[in-house]
Amino acid sequence: MPENDELNLEQISRELREPVALDASFDARVMAGVRGLPRHVRRGVWSRLTTPRTVKVRPLSWAALAAALVFVAGVAALAAYPSAGEVSRRPVVALFQPTPRAPQRVQFVIVAPSARKVAVVGDFNGWDPEHAAYQALHRGGGVWSVTAQLPAGHHRYSFVVDDSVWMADPTAPRAIDKDYGLPNSAIVVGGSTQ
Amino acid sequence: MRGATSGALVLLAAFATRLAGQDPRLAARLDPQTNVVVGAIIDSARTAKLPTAPLTDKALEGWAKGGDGTKIILAVRQLSVRLAHARTMLGTTSSADEIKAGAGALDAGVSARDLARLRTAAGKRSVTLPLAVLTDLVGRDVPVATATNLVVSLARSHVVDSDLTLFQRNVRLDIERGADPSTAASTRARGLILRTNTSGNPIR
Amino acid sequence: MESSSDAPIVTRVLRGDVEAYADLVGRYRDRYARYAFHMLGNREDAEEALQDAFTRAYRSLARCEDPDRFGAWLFRILVNRCRTVGARRARRSRTFVADEAALLDASEEHPAERSAWSEEIERALARLRPEQREAFLLKYLEELGYDEMSRLTGAGVSALKMRVMRACERLRELLSEVYSA
Repeated sequence: MPENDELNLEQISRELREPVALDASFDARVMAGVRGLPRHVRRGVWSRLTTPRTVKVRPLSWAALAAALVFVAGVAALAAYPSAGEVSRRPVVALFQPTPRAPQRVQFVIVAPSARKVAVVGDFNGWDPEHAAYQALHRGGGVWSVTAQLPAGHHRYSFVVDDSVWMADPTAPRAIDKDYGLPNSAIVVGGSTQ
Repeated sequence: MRGATSGALVLLAAFATRLAGQDPRLAARLDPQTNVVVGAIIDSARTAKLPTAPLTDKALEGWAKGGDGTKIILAVRQLSVRLAHARTMLGTTSSADEIKAGAGALDAGVSARDLARLRTAAGKRSVTLPLAVLTDLVGRDVPVATATNLVVSLARSHVVDSDLTLFQRNVRLDIERGADPSTAASTRARGLILRTNTSGNPIR
Repeated sequence: MESSSDAPIVTRVLRGDVEAYADLVGRYRDRYARYAFHMLGNREDAEEALQDAFTRAYRSLARCEDPDRFGAWLFRILVNRCRTVGARRARRSRTFVADEAALLDASEEHPAERSAWSEEIERALARLRPEQREAFLLKYLEELGYDEMSRLTGAGVSALKMRVMRACERLRELLSEVYSA
């Protein structure tokens, strides 16, 4: 039997300390029960308001209202997503770098024989197809590549060919994009990130 | 639609200073109305202590992909909901990467309960890569239930990240060569688990 | 621990000011709700035990030796109530559906209202023996020392240490189950 992980007591303790919601009427029920009991000393009754509990309510900001308006209109206005025209290419192996959490040099490779321009875009460069550091170079035979420093962590990215065709990295894990209908890939840099 | 929002946006002018702390790229790329609404969503997320970088990135991605303001706002809003959901399911002590990856998995159709199953199976180890691999399997047409069970089993067997990456690669190649996705994934997973278990101690 | 002392409020209640008791309820309700919930495994039982404890504490308030530490005294009552409620109620069996026996099983689906991760912890806790669960919670939720735990439960220190250890072992087992091919 493989070695067990140590019980992560810290994590469990933290989870145990998460607040537990009691019924809103709890206090009232306790006080109702207590009032029915014999008082400790009869010394004249003076009533005292129970401290009202503060309930946190998120104010309905105008920003949220505007967003809601746009959301409702947007749902109605949304057309079908443009079909993801993913062109299949011959697979090229992308590198995996299992090293700790400093930024890592990552090589992006794609085979696109008839391309004139290939850029890598992702959440590490603001999805900017003109970003100078992420323009791939043609290495010959239809192979394009660029190496860049990526911060450790989970990233989504894609290739943009000729400023118009979005291509996921065929060799990388697929990241779903239902929002804009154009393909993405995922990369986790730095081995097991935590 | 623009008319409906422009009135509300007059009131939003008061919030302009609040939103000043947001990423300048958003103001540079998005039209003003979209920028304000997206900023508000990001603000709410920040208040809820959710990672906000994915939201900024989602807006920028929309800009890059030529999405209009409506689509961008919808995408950012839906992502913020998924991030919150992922954090609930994965536990409040999860890292930003795990929450990001979890939101991606939810978008792909993985169930909320399964995020928690994966968290349990992985114990102390990060679930970022397992979630990315799970999302990939689903994206390659492995049925969600099957893919989830496989990744959960791999996590339980203490499979390390490099093996997980190789697993993903092998499944991809098998599928590209014509294999049925479900069969390919199950076969490769079984082999990896057996190899991990029979090696005695888990590979660290 | 508490920023202001309980003694003044206790004194007022003992002089006949019933409503002042609400302050004590407000002070300790949330904190001890957690213990009761994790000990008993569901909100209804936890509320019953907690309400019960508050009522008993009120009734025997005159016998509270150190009004300054009302909270600790209340907690002792709660620990006892939880034992009683736990023993009396038929334990709701938590069907812990064994996860996939084979790689190709369909996953079970049921709605998740709370974080399912904390639900896994609850399930695991529920499967501990009551005295182990109690010891584990006293140690890792309430962060009591063993002497205090001994005073609270009436069990000896070494017995308590054993219970905590067994609880940790069992939780480790339950929370990191290994798939055996």
